[in-house]
Amino acid sequence: MPGIDECLLEAMQLPGARGAALVDWTSGLTLGTVGESPGGDAEASAAEAAELARLAAEHRVFAPAREPGDETEPPLEDLILSNRDSYHVLRFVWTSFDSSVFLHVWLGREEGNLALARIRLGELAGRLVLG
Amino acid sequence: MTALHATPAGLPPRLPVRDRSTAAERVPRGLSPMLSRLAAERATGVLLRERGTLYLADGQIVHAESPAAPGLDVLLTAHGTLSADAWMDAVNQADERHGAARLLLDSGRIAPGTLELCHLGALYDAAYFALAPSSTPGRFRYGTGHWLGPVRPVPVTSLERETLRRRVLLDRIWPDHAADSAPLARADPPRPPTLTGRQQAVLALLDGVRTAPDIARALGRPTFHTLVDIRRLAAAGVLSPRPQEPAPPPLPTRSAPRPPGERPAPNDPDVALLKRVRDALEAL
Repeated sequence: MPGIDECLLEAMQLPGARGAALVDWTSGLTLGTVGESPGGDAEASAAEAAELARLAAEHRVFAPAREPGDETEPPLEDLILSNRDSYHVLRFVWTSFDSSVFLHVWLGREEGNLALARIRLGELAGRLVLG
Repeated sequence: MTALHATPAGLPPRLPVRDRSTAAERVPRGLSPMLSRLAAERATGVLLRERGTLYLADGQIVHAESPAAPGLDVLLTAHGTLSADAWMDAVNQADERHGAARLLLDSGRIAPGTLELCHLGALYDAAYFALAPSSTPGRFRYGTGHWLGPVRPVPVTSLERETLRRRVLLDRIWPDHAADSAPLARADPPRPPTLTGRQQAVLALLDGVRTAPDIARALGRPTFHTLVDIRRLAAAGVLSPRPQEPAPPPLPTRSAPRPPGERPAPNDPDVALLKRVRDALEAL
């Protein structure tokens, strides 16, 4: 049963992982961080990633078709960005308590494997809060 | 930090300037000089401030409480993550060696990640209010622990930076703090915006009586997180704070003329302006 740090260290085992952070997208608070941060400033990158995650989570256009009574929050699973030299994977963490938290993993483009990262982060997000 | 630069011949040397990169990282004085001093001396104890309480161990914040913020128990039990009985068991059995946090984890009733997330959420939330500007000085009692025990201690500098960042965040959304503590009522804007699920949950609880902390408690959500939505809803004109001043006296009638020297009605434009100036000064 991992805590925040164990969870982030495990995320760092992904091929090509440069850095991992757990961030609250309502406040922009960094709950934990391991490895490098994009731009070199963990708090600044958390605030920017939080802004992106909030926009994605709030816009209906990205949400799945709703079934009546389905109040799953957040509506998204993950958000994937790629650029010339790296990938960013933001995995929303579903919790039984009220929260707005996501895992942010930064992967080098050469070794990074998006399919593997998606699967692993999904598992990690589940284990972080379910034990 | 000062830096001297070479200057062209014939000109006086440039004045030393403060290095902006380091200046920005420094926490401005005044948030709580006492807290900074306690961190420097690695103090253990309880800092009692007007709007909340900070618990320190070895100069780090281990717990925080405020009447304005729902406690860890509310965040954990509101949605059935932990039963109220399990929480009470742990609280009652906690002693000096085994804090309630340790007991909850050992009993397997809660995942470490869940406890850390909720605890950090409650800590930063309560500290935001505890570190709000106050009219009375704080008091510190040395050597008192907290029955919860350590979960994930936070350095004082991180807490102060985060608190300042949160103030800026709220003011950027809507720079009026009237809705933060007043009873809130629904308003009817001409063009209502699309609301998120989290905002709809807040809106459903507006009844002209509940305040932001009441709504946060009912939702099992940190008050700051609730304020983010409340300020956004206030900016969109979907909710409005009800004035906290006592109801204005009934309009004077001819049979009861206003006695000389009585204060003007609170809705006098000059009074309203003065109040806004006062609020703005207090918010500095």
